[in-house]
Amino acid sequence: MHALLADSTLTGGLLTLAQSDFPHALSTLTLNHYLFVSAAMFALGIIGFLTRRNLIIMFLCTELMFQAAGLALIAFGRYHLNFDGQSFVIFVLTIAAAEAAMALALVVLLFRRRESLDADLWAELKG
Amino acid sequence: MNLAIADLPINPLLLYIACALGAVGVIFAMPRRGNNPAIVGGLVAAVAAGLVVLGLTLGSGRGEPTPSVFFYIFALLALGGGLRMITHPKPVYAALYFILTIIASSGLYLLLSAEFMAFALVVIYAGAIIITYLFVIMLATQAPSADDVDALSVYDASAHEPIAASAAGFVLLALLTTMLFHGTPDLPTRPGIDSSDAILARLPGKVDDALTPILLANGLMNEDERIARMADTGEVMINSAKHTVLVTNAEVAGEAPTRETGRLVEVPAELWPSDLSGTNVEGLGLNLLGEHPMTIEIAGVVLLMAMLGATVLARKQVDLEEEAKARQARHLALDGAIAGPGGAN
Repeated sequence: MHALLADSTLTGGLLTLAQSDFPHALSTLTLNHYLFVSAAMFALGIIGFLTRRNLIIMFLCTELMFQAAGLALIAFGRYHLNFDGQSFVIFVLTIAAAEAAMALALVVLLFRRRESLDADLWAELKG
Repeated sequence: MNLAIADLPINPLLLYIACALGAVGVIFAMPRRGNNPAIVGGLVAAVAAGLVVLGLTLGSGRGEPTPSVFFYIFALLALGGGLRMITHPKPVYAALYFILTIIASSGLYLLLSAEFMAFALVVIYAGAIIITYLFVIMLATQAPSADDVDALSVYDASAHEPIAASAAGFVLLALLTTMLFHGTPDLPTRPGIDSSDAILARLPGKVDDALTPILLANGLMNEDERIARMADTGEVMINSAKHTVLVTNAEVAGEAPTRETGRLVEVPAELWPSDLSGTNVEGLGLNLLGEHPMTIEIAGVVLLMAMLGATVLARKQVDLEEEAKARQARHLALDGAIAGPGGAN
């Protein structure tokens, strides 16, 4: 596995496979496919966060961005044939779960104050 | 590492056209007052995504393997679900479309042979997080009026500056993908010290595990010798460029091995393991755990405190609300008693 690590560079061509029983590594161009999907997902999340006025959907859009980051991490881990990407996705999932709990508690509090989920009602926070 | 245009996996012009098309599609699909051509927007965005995929596939027609048809299906489902999630006016449907995105992402994880993470994703996200979101959506949405059950809240029915946000988002996407496909130019390295060797010198066990069998098998090191670690720093003396490593006699291991007591072994180039290098993650891990161990502890404590704080905050609010409800109930009962049994309806 470490022999593969040494051969793999981001702009290099196909990885040479020393161990045939290990699953095939991603080639650079195939990695690009996954990275494009990840980047597009992230952009969609940002657009949703900027455009939607519903607090809950805004937080859902941050979850979409977490998803995009996780996909990129897993694709990179696959490209380098190690498990670092996957362990990082575990952390991302942990943070996402904690963030969801906190954010939803805050959303419920804000909803009780104004009886509405409209983010524009809190425009005075702009200062 | 500056690649020529011809080496890019996709023609940049095609990429930028596709990004502009995608932005137009998202703008059309955004909720707004009046008629809502969401299907038109979705189609335009899908055409844009198709252009990029086509460009990537044509660009990979140089003997490189292309991803399987399952990749395209899962990617289309994930991006389509994401598009509908940010454009659907009803929050419940948005959450359900996000579940579609998650399940399609877990399909992509499976294609990347990350089986555990794929199922963990479905269990944690689709099973736990989104269900929590759904509960909050149902808790925190005004009840619809009786005459129009399908009425949307004002803030759900119209998007907030869709054109500016979509333009910003897709410019970001175009730049991100350009950077991803171009790669970054070579960064300057620290002069004087090979950072890979510096990481290797501090890693526990890696050099020993990689080199000891090779040295012993080729008679470069005696049975009673071992790879030397400096007494003061605990580092291995290794030089990957010259293929040298310092070994010491195990008999004097208890004493402080220095450059003088050890013996510098030069390993022939063909015997030197080609995979022996310090990677970025090993360096990061050494740095994180070796130099900032308190940071991790503090991060854990901060997370715990945030969780406890949220719980305490929410509990207090619930108590207040229950108190208010109880007061309201007493008030109503009092009103009923005053109006009499006939007047109460």
